[in-house]
Amino acid sequence: MVESLLWPAWPLQGNELMQLAVALLLAAVCGEAVARLLRFPRVTGYSLAGLLMGPTLLGWFGPADLDHVRIAIDLALALLLFELGVRLDIRWFRANPWVLGSSLAESSITFVVTYLLMRGMGYPNGLAATVGAIAIGTSPSVVMRVAAEQRAEGQVTQRLFVLCALNIAYSVVLSKLIVGGMHGVFRGDWTLAVLHPLYLLLGSLVIGGLLALAFRLVRRLFNLSDEQGVVVLFGLLLLTLALLDMLKLPGMLAPLIAGAIVKFFDPRPHLWPRHFGTAGGVLVIALFMLTGMSLTPEQMAAGGTAALALVIARVAGKAGGVMLLGPVSGISLRQAAALGIALAPMSGVAFLLTEDIRTIYPFFGSQLAPIVLSMVAVLQLLGPIAVQWGLRYAGESRAGDK
Amino acid sequence: MALAQFAESRSLTLGVELELQIVNTHDYDLVGSAEDLLRALAKRKLPGDVKPEMTVSMIEMATGVCDNYHDALEQLGTIRDAMVDAARRLNVGVCGGGTHGFQHWDDRKIFDKPRFNFLSELYGYLAKQFTVFGQHVHIGCPGPDVALYLLHSLSRYVPHFIALSASSPFVQGSDTGYQSARLNSVFAFPLSGRAPYVESWAEFERYFDKMTATGVVKSMKDFYWDIRPKPEFGTIEVRVMDTPLTVRRAAELAAYIQSVARWLMVERPMRPVEDDYLVYTFNRFQALRFGMAGIFVDPRTHEHRTLAEDIVATIDRVEQHSIELVADEPCRSLREIAQSGMNDAAVLRAEFADARSLNEVVRRQCLRWAQ
Repeated sequence: MVESLLWPAWPLQGNELMQLAVALLLAAVCGEAVARLLRFPRVTGYSLAGLLMGPTLLGWFGPADLDHVRIAIDLALALLLFELGVRLDIRWFRANPWVLGSSLAESSITFVVTYLLMRGMGYPNGLAATVGAIAIGTSPSVVMRVAAEQRAEGQVTQRLFVLCALNIAYSVVLSKLIVGGMHGVFRGDWTLAVLHPLYLLLGSLVIGGLLALAFRLVRRLFNLSDEQGVVVLFGLLLLTLALLDMLKLPGMLAPLIAGAIVKFFDPRPHLWPRHFGTAGGVLVIALFMLTGMSLTPEQMAAGGTAALALVIARVAGKAGGVMLLGPVSGISLRQAAALGIALAPMSGVAFLLTEDIRTIYPFFGSQLAPIVLSMVAVLQLLGPIAVQWGLRYAGESRAGDK
Repeated sequence: MALAQFAESRSLTLGVELELQIVNTHDYDLVGSAEDLLRALAKRKLPGDVKPEMTVSMIEMATGVCDNYHDALEQLGTIRDAMVDAARRLNVGVCGGGTHGFQHWDDRKIFDKPRFNFLSELYGYLAKQFTVFGQHVHIGCPGPDVALYLLHSLSRYVPHFIALSASSPFVQGSDTGYQSARLNSVFAFPLSGRAPYVESWAEFERYFDKMTATGVVKSMKDFYWDIRPKPEFGTIEVRVMDTPLTVRRAAELAAYIQSVARWLMVERPMRPVEDDYLVYTFNRFQALRFGMAGIFVDPRTHEHRTLAEDIVATIDRVEQHSIELVADEPCRSLREIAQSGMNDAAVLRAEFADARSLNEVVRRQCLRWAQ
């Protein structure tokens, strides 16, 4: 029947594109409403929209829909992590080792505190360690988005970026090591347990190095601050993601490493529009919305209470760690407190780490997901507010000046 | 507040103040880290002083009382090293230059101190636009009347100091065509320009009392003159210079001012008259617009020549005095600058022609400053 191909069916049939469009618009409206009415960061609104449309409330979207848009999340994160990596100047640690010290302190204290709390609540060893490892990471998307919105600059903002980049790296590495350990425990294959994490880390390092090299070549040919440059960068990062996927390597470590390598070998200022212009901005909105959508009511029921306790312990661990070494690293106690609180957000990276574990070990993943996703849900709403508060408390926000 | 008693100071001693830029090491825009730097530097024993300035991306360093060029250079070098080291620990850059090439004035934050907050209230956006960086040189005077004599006689040489120090061609992301665009920001203030023509301290006190009676000024600090007396120190303060790109140039400029001052004080080559100021703003404009190539009109002979010629002639004329002050070496090096025209503004333009990015120019300013 040719006619059915020519004329629309009546009543009109919704399609996936329509859903996505409505979701995006709703997220934008939510972000704006939250910013105008409550003076909270827009990010909180995007996440709220995600939670509203997700399976916990309206049920428009479910975890199954995520597969279609996983590439959007991956690309958004890769963009952010690469940009974050470029802000990570390794030379700084030689001039001031205490910055690295405060990073190690906040991360290890966070791990220990969350691990012990998990054990205290009666969870098994492996699960406690995995949650601890994932809890180390701070959300780069929230941190960078809110800092940009607040037009923040200064020691706290700078250290927030650096500590975030580092703790993500620790978080990814540690959780891969733990997964490696699981190969040993669940399969009794200890060669795999050692070799696989090693492959993941070395592979990420190599791909990161290649991306850095490619970026330097591209930089010579294109002006990266114009539109053409944005297209090339997108292409380069997509290529990297494709390569990582083929090699079954994690998508998060390589862009971060690449950024840091670029900065280390080329200290010249690296300029491009924040989040690679408008297109990057749309991806970031999608990122918040989608992670908000992934939580189901069953998961919230199973992990909600534990997550609340863990969130409090995690924030305390991060703030405590930073405040412990803040003054010797050259910031005041007030700045250290602001920095510690601003490290609270948790989102995309934690979500992807959990997803990756779930694909390999579905049963273990089903125990892990409720806890981590509930933490992510809470911190996607409260994390941006914590960053906003921290930057204001440190006197680094310039949003209210105009 | 009444005018302070003119303090005693040793004749021809030097003091140098430099206002510096604090930038981030990511895109090299200004960054508000003055308080962090001051906190770090408070723990160190330094020869001079480190102070906050109007906005949080500025910091000022000042020497103590110096005898000569070498003394000033050493003190500036010591403070510079300490500051660069502290900046490195904070992952920020410190640099010279009279303006930041591409900062947006509206992004600046006022340093939280009663005086700065007061000025910000009063002047509004001018206060934020005042994120410019100058060098001030104090010259010790044996008494207040000598100070006023020196102030008026030195005014003839103000264009020299501008052209030799000029380091602010770029403002808000564009080349202004000026060698010192910074002074245009200073000119916007109602009490800028030159000091009134009075020859004795008694007359100056009367002028000051009349001004305070109008309620327009409260203290000497409210005058933004090119050269102003600083009775608390017993000095006059030359304030027209841009902060140079290196401490060496800053010390050289101080040495040149000191040499001219010694010549004026010892030989008394001419008695200043009010008509000397007829050409003042013209010469001043030529210097900040065209630098060494600008036209200089001699206030006495009305002869027109280039600033470069007048600077070279002056350095030659004061040579004996610069030798006495062990300032002949820095004066010679400034003489070469005058002849080649390669002041810091020219250096910055050359860097921009090479780098094609003002961000990169600022990074190179930081490297130069740390040398």
